Amino acid sequence: MHKKIYKFSKQILVILVLTTAFSCTKEENTSNLSETIFVRHKDADMPAYIHGNATDNIFLIMLHGGPGGIGLSYRGPAFDVIENEFAVVYFDQRGSGMAQGSYSEEGITIDIMAEDVLALVQVLKKKYGDDARFFLMGHSWGGTLGPAALLKDQSDFLGWINVDGSHNTKGLYAAYISNFRRVAAEQIELENEVSYWNMVFEIINSVGTQYSKQDMYALNSEAFEAEYTLEQTDIINANVESDYNTILNYNLLTLFWNMLNTQSILDDDLFETIDFTNRLSEITIPSTVMWGSHDMVVPINFAEEAFDNLGSSDKSLLFFQKSGHSPMFSEPDLFATKVLEFMNEHKE
Amino acid sequence: MVLKLRVLIPSMLLLWTFGTAQDLEPTRSTADLSNSTFLERTEFKVAYSGNIFWNNGLNFGAEYLLVENKKVKNRKRGQRTNTHEFLLNGTLGVTTNFSNQTDTGIFTNYGMMWRRTNKKNKQFSIAFNPLGYYRSFLPETYEVIGDNVEKVFLPGRGYYAPSVTVGIGKQRKGKKITGRYFNINLMLRTPYNAGTLPAIHLQYGYRFNFKKK
Repeated sequence: MHKKIYKFSKQILVILVLTTAFSCTKEENTSNLSETIFVRHKDADMPAYIHGNATDNIFLIMLHGGPGGIGLSYRGPAFDVIENEFAVVYFDQRGSGMAQGSYSEEGITIDIMAEDVLALVQVLKKKYGDDARFFLMGHSWGGTLGPAALLKDQSDFLGWINVDGSHNTKGLYAAYISNFRRVAAEQIELENEVSYWNMVFEIINSVGTQYSKQDMYALNSEAFEAEYTLEQTDIINANVESDYNTILNYNLLTLFWNMLNTQSILDDDLFETIDFTNRLSEITIPSTVMWGSHDMVVPINFAEEAFDNLGSSDKSLLFFQKSGHSPMFSEPDLFATKVLEFMNEHKE
Repeated sequence: MVLKLRVLIPSMLLLWTFGTAQDLEPTRSTADLSNSTFLERTEFKVAYSGNIFWNNGLNFGAEYLLVENKKVKNRKRGQRTNTHEFLLNGTLGVTTNFSNQTDTGIFTNYGMMWRRTNKKNKQFSIAFNPLGYYRSFLPETYEVIGDNVEKVFLPGRGYYAPSVTVGIGKQRKGKKITGRYFNINLMLRTPYNAGTLPAIHLQYGYRFNFKKK
């Protein structure tokens, strides 16, 4: 037995040295990161799923929609391309996805959630070094949370990417009504799905002119239905398939419970008080505003308003002609190209 | 014709009801457990516990028999004995989602169980466990307080976690493995985020004991 051990000891030693050496090289680990860490901040534990190439130590922090959405839902063809060049941090926000914690209803506000984003940056710097640099992207509700975080501290960010996100959720109700009128009139004139768009006219005539939660939900729900109708008439592209493994990462009961609970707490504040329009001038980092031309969920006038009011000297506005609310799914190749162009232009 | 049916159907129902009714009052008896040892009154159990798609795990437990009542019903087709038991129930479980590292935890529940066993040894049970604790275990976690960032040792959170379980099963008399069961378990975790999180688990397992043969 001893002879056998002695005979193979050299080979075993060589294998151990080689495997240790190759498994620990920084180059291999950072070029294809796949890690999950948690950020503990103000009584919440929030997962950050980090995927992609971090050889340049540049991270794109993705703020999901909702409120109450899930970070990993964005993984798919567009972000696969982005992950090849940069690391993407998919973040389950407070009260969303698999985030957990123990706090009261006062413990979940847009102000605290903005602080959570900055806490995430601190954690990433602790883990990947002080030379780590960041871009911030927000989609839909993430486009509301992004400015809230940047207005607290934008010093760590190389750029801001707003994708169909509303900086002024207080104005959404009125914008829905005028946008539905405009699109319905256009579609009836084009003789596209006339009965549906006539029904849309009936809906907007039945809701009040002032905000009410019930009517807001009805209009928001109809906005998704309207995008589906536009997809059926080939005005916007169908969404590409996202990563099916995502569904295995989230317990559906937990996910929906979190979503309903978080929305029920945040929605009143969201639709009645939040408007960052007058403070967008304070955001001075390079910014790009990307929007689906046929977005019914956050209407297109918010894109122009965001672009006009941002204080950045280096800013751009881009429309995706065959997209609604989520161009990363309806025009993934173009979306990835434009995001990478922006990041590469501003990464130094 | 309609009138005849109106009379005939209730009459048939009455006949059937009285025809199958008990001939005698049921007799009830309570088992004397005072001479039974702890091991004779205790059954242990092990079960799969999870919801298949996301959380999967194991559940270990013990049931201590407090009261056993037998109810003998005399029917025309013979005697039928149903056993009703009240048991102290305690479990210890572990659960994880193999697809990620974000939903791992251990939990323990304590409470009372009522179980009915019929003459075919089929069982129905309801357990209420007001005492429960769930401890989540998280991967690498960093805590941010002001400008200070620290790595957390043994990250996770503890929750009060009462549960209710409803189940069916089959008793196997005289065997080492004394029964099998299928339960649906609802466990709450509170305070979870800004509320109370419900979690549903399916449990399929076996009971066994260490009685001396």
